[in-house]
Amino acid sequence: MTALHSLNSISDLDHPYLDDYSVILDVVPCTGLFLTYFLICCIPKSYHVSFCFFISAHDDAIWSVGWGKNANDGSELVISGSLDDLVKVWKWADERLELQWSLEGHQLGVVSVDVSASGNILASSSLDAHIRLWDLDSGKQIRSIDAGPVDAWSVAFSPDSQHLATGSHVGKVNIFGVETGKKEFSLDTRGKFILSNAYSPDGKYLASGAIDGIINIFDIATGKLLHTLEGHAMPIRSLTFSPDSQLLVTASDDGYIKIYDVQHASLAATLSGHGSWVLNVAFSPDDAHFVSSSSDKSVKVWDVATRTCVHTFLDHQDQVWGVQYNRNGSKIVSVGDDQEIHIYDCPI
Amino acid sequence: MASFGWKRKIGEKVSKVTSQQFEEEAADVVKKEDIDWIHATKRKKEVLLEDNITKSKRLREEGIALAQNARHLEAIKVWDSAIHLTPEDASLYEMKSQDFHTTVMCLAAGAARELRTSCLIVALMCLDEKFHAVQTAETAVQRDPHFVEAWQTLGRAQLGLGEITMAIRSFQVGLHLCPTNSELREEDLTWALRLFQQKKGAVKTEERKKDCRGINEELEIIPDYDFESDEVVAACAAISQRQVASANNTGIVVSASGLVTNAEQKKNDSSDSNTEMFIKAR
Repeated sequence: MTALHSLNSISDLDHPYLDDYSVILDVVPCTGLFLTYFLICCIPKSYHVSFCFFISAHDDAIWSVGWGKNANDGSELVISGSLDDLVKVWKWADERLELQWSLEGHQLGVVSVDVSASGNILASSSLDAHIRLWDLDSGKQIRSIDAGPVDAWSVAFSPDSQHLATGSHVGKVNIFGVETGKKEFSLDTRGKFILSNAYSPDGKYLASGAIDGIINIFDIATGKLLHTLEGHAMPIRSLTFSPDSQLLVTASDDGYIKIYDVQHASLAATLSGHGSWVLNVAFSPDDAHFVSSSSDKSVKVWDVATRTCVHTFLDHQDQVWGVQYNRNGSKIVSVGDDQEIHIYDCPI
Repeated sequence: MASFGWKRKIGEKVSKVTSQQFEEEAADVVKKEDIDWIHATKRKKEVLLEDNITKSKRLREEGIALAQNARHLEAIKVWDSAIHLTPEDASLYEMKSQDFHTTVMCLAAGAARELRTSCLIVALMCLDEKFHAVQTAETAVQRDPHFVEAWQTLGRAQLGLGEITMAIRSFQVGLHLCPTNSELREEDLTWALRLFQQKKGAVKTEERKKDCRGINEELEIIPDYDFESDEVVAACAAISQRQVASANNTGIVVSASGLVTNAEQKKNDSSDSNTEMFIKAR
């Protein structure tokens, strides 16, 4: 029991706001074996993230960010989408960002951007529900898709880059063909407006988060709705799968981050720490960490095994709308209402 | 012979004491401060014993009740007295701005928030105080950037001032926070965008007209403004403030170490540039 007590105090140190001890007690039934396992997990790993670079990038709030790596020449690109109707493509080289393309075309603010796995196609969506596909090599628009009046919010490429998923206001996830630009099929959640969606990296599942806090997980092969999770009571602005497709992390306006076991559709952990809406989450390719951004102007890096916050950045001066890891997990990028792009260094 | 009249009869039958008492009560009702506007009754004596914070809270609510009944001037007066009662509340805002008027607005905006309606801002718009309405709404969204209705009201107030692009921006921010707000999308944003298109069209035809006319004639087009009038001064102040704000925002690439010094410099500069901008705007 003393060991358990010390456990609690360790987590207190790491994370002063963690009020949900049930998480810890769930993981640690009072058996010696699990206790040792947990104690090992609890020892802080050397994961030191540091602030690296920032640039004032747009004339207005930046709402979305993406990080792509071109498969051909290996160049790394940071994409930012802003309220000023522009999508900007930045080249990350020599520890600094250089503007490569400024993509004009959207009529209203850019809500979401995503880069294909091969790193040469960019998808962006704006408030006027138009999705635009861009060629990142030439900086030219490939095509524009009018998704319908209110039928495009966050966009997500499938792992094979053949499809593009976006949510609609009637609770359907519409899937467009990247080559055709046509709606190929749609998955119905029978719910409310879908704010966020994500493909699992193994290509098996698609998860969607609705404005009323309901999470739906679909099987892509059959198009069947596998699970409906009533995790949050408020809008889910972002969700992300772990690289092994086993865990799903959700971010909500209620200020909590939840981790779900995808296979069993069970809640693995509830994380508190942000003082306001959690706006975005992104998993690290190392499978052990993920990062979250919030309206409380902070960016937090979390350790999955211990369910604790490893690092908090308070460098932004306003809400942080977007956060992403790069492809190998050595960098984190964040963007926000203060019109800045921030880059952080991570150990691999 | 005396003629028949009701007046005389009443005078005779009603005792002097009663009529005097009646007149006194009537006079009391006229005193506006003594009316509880929520219940529309004369305020009881014991209410006056309540402490300042409770009273200020009650006055806020009464103000809201008044504003809902379109009695905007009285509402502002009630809120004003609420401010007097709880100066510690006001001092919070005074740190931000020395303008007492704004202070009244801030407190009221807070009150409006509780009801999730922007009564005061609507009140101000009704009273044609569009400039103050914009200011108030701006304070409201600063205090709570997630307050969708405040963004909506800010956009509407800006539209009232003719700031179409700024209004479109406010509506977009509101819509980004709550994409299911169909009123915001279908009415406000669509309307603002249509106005923007019309304005663009109007500017184009104006330019064409200008091209046709000679340069000398062009000077005559500029209307003769009264440059000392209050409205123009206020508008100029607003323009200069906005430009200063945007100047502060557009720091390009600053190294992490140079950030602090730059920020301090900007503060010092802002007072100078403020006056400069003011003159420029005029």
